[in-house]
Amino acid sequence: MFSGNLKSAVQNLRLSKWRTIFTMMGIIIGITSVVTVVSLGAGLKHQIVGQINQLGSDVLTVRPGKLLTKDGKATNLNLYAFLAPSTLTPRDVESLQGSELVNSVTPIEFITNSASSDNGEFNDLFIAGTSPNFAATLHQNVQYGDFFTDNDETSDSAVIGSDVALRLFGMLNPVGETIHIMGQDFIVRGVLAPTQGGLLSVAQADYNSSVFLPTKAAESLTAGHTNILQILIQVKKGTNIDHDVGVINSRLAQNHGGTGDFTVLKQDQLLGVSSQILNTITNFVTAIAAISLLVGGIGIMNIMLVSVSERTREIGIRKAIGATNRQILRQFLTEGLVLTIGGGLIGVVVSLIINVLLRLYTGWKPVISVPVMLLAVAVSVVAGVLFSLIPALKAARKDPIAALRGE
Amino acid sequence: MALIELDEVSKIFGFGDATTLALDEVSLSVEKGEFVAVMGPSGSGKTTLMNIIGLLDRSSHGNYSLGGSPVSRLKPNRQAKLRRDKIGFVFQFYNLLPHLTVLENVALPLAYKGMTPVRRAKRASDILELVGLRDREYYLPPLLSGGQAQRAAIARALVNRPSIIIADEPTGNLDSHDSRVVMEVLAEIHRQGNTILLVTHNPELTRYASRVIYMYDGMIAGDEQTAIGHMARHARRTYFKKQKATDDDIAAGVSAMLKDVPGTEVTTKAKRRKAKGRKRGLRTRGSKD
Repeated sequence: MFSGNLKSAVQNLRLSKWRTIFTMMGIIIGITSVVTVVSLGAGLKHQIVGQINQLGSDVLTVRPGKLLTKDGKATNLNLYAFLAPSTLTPRDVESLQGSELVNSVTPIEFITNSASSDNGEFNDLFIAGTSPNFAATLHQNVQYGDFFTDNDETSDSAVIGSDVALRLFGMLNPVGETIHIMGQDFIVRGVLAPTQGGLLSVAQADYNSSVFLPTKAAESLTAGHTNILQILIQVKKGTNIDHDVGVINSRLAQNHGGTGDFTVLKQDQLLGVSSQILNTITNFVTAIAAISLLVGGIGIMNIMLVSVSERTREIGIRKAIGATNRQILRQFLTEGLVLTIGGGLIGVVVSLIINVLLRLYTGWKPVISVPVMLLAVAVSVVAGVLFSLIPALKAARKDPIAALRGE
Repeated sequence: MALIELDEVSKIFGFGDATTLALDEVSLSVEKGEFVAVMGPSGSGKTTLMNIIGLLDRSSHGNYSLGGSPVSRLKPNRQAKLRRDKIGFVFQFYNLLPHLTVLENVALPLAYKGMTPVRRAKRASDILELVGLRDREYYLPPLLSGGQAQRAAIARALVNRPSIIIADEPTGNLDSHDSRVVMEVLAEIHRQGNTILLVTHNPELTRYASRVIYMYDGMIAGDEQTAIGHMARHARRTYFKKQKATDDDIAAGVSAMLKDVPGTEVTTKAKRRKAKGRKRGLRTRGSKD
């Protein structure tokens, strides 16, 4: 009986092709937007997880603000923690450097967003001060030239990301060229190899569009008003990491007068904090996308209601020759399901195409996983049942005599 | 035990002032194998009676038993299944589903029974052979002539081997040739032992019936056994009176002569029905006295 329903549903939908296509459109758009948003989120998460894993388990991250609850879980996302000026100071860096537990300390200090070369000015850069051990701690390769060393601490050398090199200097070899930041000239000493990473990466910046300067140079640019986004600490091997966290915590707490306005994160905690930010954003955007799915579903319900009243006579005939209410119900439910599942499948295909286009033409790296696709299909099944239930019930409950008269 | 047993069945439509008594304590029993023609003016309750016997509708009062078991208070689902298994409907306007082929239309009741597609196609095909439409199996209904469409509808009514076939003015929309073909098919089905209830306005068709029931104002006004091949006595009376030209016909300039040949009415359907309803309503009452 089901295959018969399916066949007649497809037949009926094909009779009014344009109506079917436009009805499906709502579901197609809904499913496409949900799948695309979820896959973008999954892609970002994938990148962040990769980066954090690359960092290694012996690297601790200190971030301003209180990001963990007492039992070590990530707190609810608090946007104010990101808006506030950093509570981390150069004194923190110094006191950490003095610790015997620590192998290296790498502060990342935000300076500005604008730099220029002879090719023009760019305002969407991440210009940061850091220490010479940055490349080693983050396992970041330098493609051309070198990273600055301890000897360059106060000099005017800079290391730039691969995108920056391309945009500021085009095909020229950027090593030895000059860039201007806040009225000061810096000579490019090295170019970083291209890395994965979006805005929500470990450093909360895309290294490919970053410029790194020595800490001292950075401080001279900002006249001592530092804004340290995070401090990466590589601890010595063979020590108990939880113990190390405790020591670092108490050392920093001394500097901060005992207030907990900073957080020391282990690798897995960093993962938790980062994915939480991401999950919050993804959920929010998914909710917006889901509204379009809802609208699409209501569109289907509307068209099904119209179709039921148009086909009153058919329902009457079917009932007269012995169709039970349930059989009529099933027939219309099947039609609704064909619409939504069809729309859902097309939506998945469209989002796969969008996925490929995004990967080809933008920096985003969305990931569509099989569970997401299955979920999309499941959602369309649920939407189908939900939104065609009322029209199908209406059809099933029609009085056969009135229906035969075509009323 | 009679196949159909109606005991003081009434049907009321509407509420309050607008109440209509469509059937007024009708008692009727029909044996298996009878060919009953039901005649009467429009609004006399013929169709309501057929709907109740066909389990499309339920009576307001009274009892109905079909094949010995009471069916008047069954749940809609049970009624639908009885309709599927025991009743075959033939309507005036064929009521074939236009987007299904003839074969699919005929096989539809079997589909609701849950028969496999291959078996139901075979059965439907056999039945179409019986009504002489084997070569039209894969046509869509709009491509059939009226007579062919009605034969397909009869095949659909027959496909479940029902106990009763209810034909509500099956020739009402057909010309004389197609009417004759359709009636011959029904007669053949009757000869094979089927029970047929035929609603008609055409007295000629009582020749096919073994019994004629006249209805008036929701009551059975006359019940007459007739020999097959002969027109019913009362029906004959209405028939000959009907041959007179009506005022409408004269106004339209239609010659009454044209109507003398049975079954070749040239008036439009609406006009014919209107004329029949008014005139024959009076006649039937007259014949009852």
